[in-house]
Amino acid sequence: MARSKPILIVVAFLISVILVGFPLFNTEHFMVLSLLIMVASFLPFMIHYSKKKVRSRELVVVAILAAIAAVSRVPFASIPSVQPTTFVIIMAAIVLGPQSGFVVGTLAAIVSNLFLGHGPWTPWQMYAWGMIGLTAGLLGNTRMMHSKFGRCVYGFLVGIAFGWIMNLWFVFGVIEEFNWTEVILYYSSSLYFDLTHAICNVLFLWVFSNSWIRIIERFKVKYGLFET
Amino acid sequence: MVRGFRSFHPIILLLYYILAIAGLMLYQQPLFLTGGFLAILLANLILDGGKELRKWRFMIMIMGVLTMILTPIFNHKGNHILFYLFENPVMHEAIWQGLIISLTLVSILCLFISFNIVITPDKFIFLFSKFFPQWALLIMLTMRFVPLLRKRLNEISDVQCVKGLSVKSGSIKSRAKNGMFLLQILLTWSLEESIQTADSMTARGYGLGNRSKYQPFYMKRKDWITLVFLLMSGSLVLLGWWLGDGVMALLPILEPFWLYGREWFYLFVFILLIGLPIWLEGKELIKWKYYRHNK
Repeated sequence: MARSKPILIVVAFLISVILVGFPLFNTEHFMVLSLLIMVASFLPFMIHYSKKKVRSRELVVVAILAAIAAVSRVPFASIPSVQPTTFVIIMAAIVLGPQSGFVVGTLAAIVSNLFLGHGPWTPWQMYAWGMIGLTAGLLGNTRMMHSKFGRCVYGFLVGIAFGWIMNLWFVFGVIEEFNWTEVILYYSSSLYFDLTHAICNVLFLWVFSNSWIRIIERFKVKYGLFET
Repeated sequence: MVRGFRSFHPIILLLYYILAIAGLMLYQQPLFLTGGFLAILLANLILDGGKELRKWRFMIMIMGVLTMILTPIFNHKGNHILFYLFENPVMHEAIWQGLIISLTLVSILCLFISFNIVITPDKFIFLFSKFFPQWALLIMLTMRFVPLLRKRLNEISDVQCVKGLSVKSGSIKSRAKNGMFLLQILLTWSLEESIQTADSMTARGYGLGNRSKYQPFYMKRKDWITLVFLLMSGSLVLLGWWLGDGVMALLPILEPFWLYGREWFYLFVFILLIGLPIWLEGKELIKWKYYRHNK
């Protein structure tokens, strides 16, 4: 993983630039093409993991973390629009690396939708949480993720980005012609929820990230998991 | 006993949903979409008496109405000005556009409700295992852990409640903090336990040789017939879209709303495709009635 890391960072960055910048160049077929770009950026990771031989312990740990991310909404049911799923995914990704982070994120999205009901948003949620896990894992060993402040900045950005990606299913699926006023209107209407998500991420990361990282790290060292 | 539309092979069902969504997104004509929407509603009613639909109806209605109202307010493309709203022109074309968009949205959301009824988690995992076996295993593991973790979470919160930690009362800040603390206990507990699960998997031979799998679904004769039907009607729907029959041109000239000539044929094919669950379920209903009358 170590050698391919810079390449992965560059690829992930390029894809996001293309995805965001595309509508600017080509407004006619942007929907189809951006969908293609999304699938092309997402499927290789899924296929790669599917082909990989994974030890049973690593497999179960990934499944447990995804399940924790999925049920983490339960204790917060009484507080509206607060859910620490993203926080759990970031924590798992920082310690276990980009690939496992990606899997935890994607899996959490699939499973929580299996319980709550699928919708047109399922693939977008898989994409958003998968990519959050991937990028958090890629940045895992950098100075940014080692400091609490850096993690909070990351959590804030990711909280906003998650909402923006989730809005895309609506923009792509429903808005026929690309029209900035409509898109901006729609995005501003979701800003309150995106901000809540981002702020919750920051608060959780600020208070709990150190202890969570220590717990998962200790566990990883104790059983010698995810060493590659 | 699973019967009717639900008893078909998951791949056939998946193909139906893919084609139906593609059809709804391609055909941008109010009459086509209304027909498709009614067919989906009827299918939902037949499948579970509209139980699931009732849960979601407010969200769907609000989204539909909002898009219908907001599109004409912010979309100013068109030639016919109907009236001015806050000094902004409201276009005749944009109102049609709003109607089309909201019908597409509402139909797709309703289609997903029937998807959730028909594609049960076992079929979903089967579909995954076809393409990504490892992911199917992971999904299965995670799905099993969700109820287990919920149970553990209840235990933890009962114990912590005695100590005075509560997620149900207090300020939002303390509730959030306590909730996170419960999750942290759950994390430590579950990670340790997961090793045992993993070791017992290894002990039973996980990772030795290829994974065998239980195949609960087979392609039957009716599945092949449905496949042919789906491929034929699907390609006709695509052809109709390519010919421009199912799309209401708004610019440069507004096309009349009513259909003419060949378009009726494509409307028929479109409804035939979207309404597949109705025909399949309806067939059984008629059979049931008919046999009972004979006795």
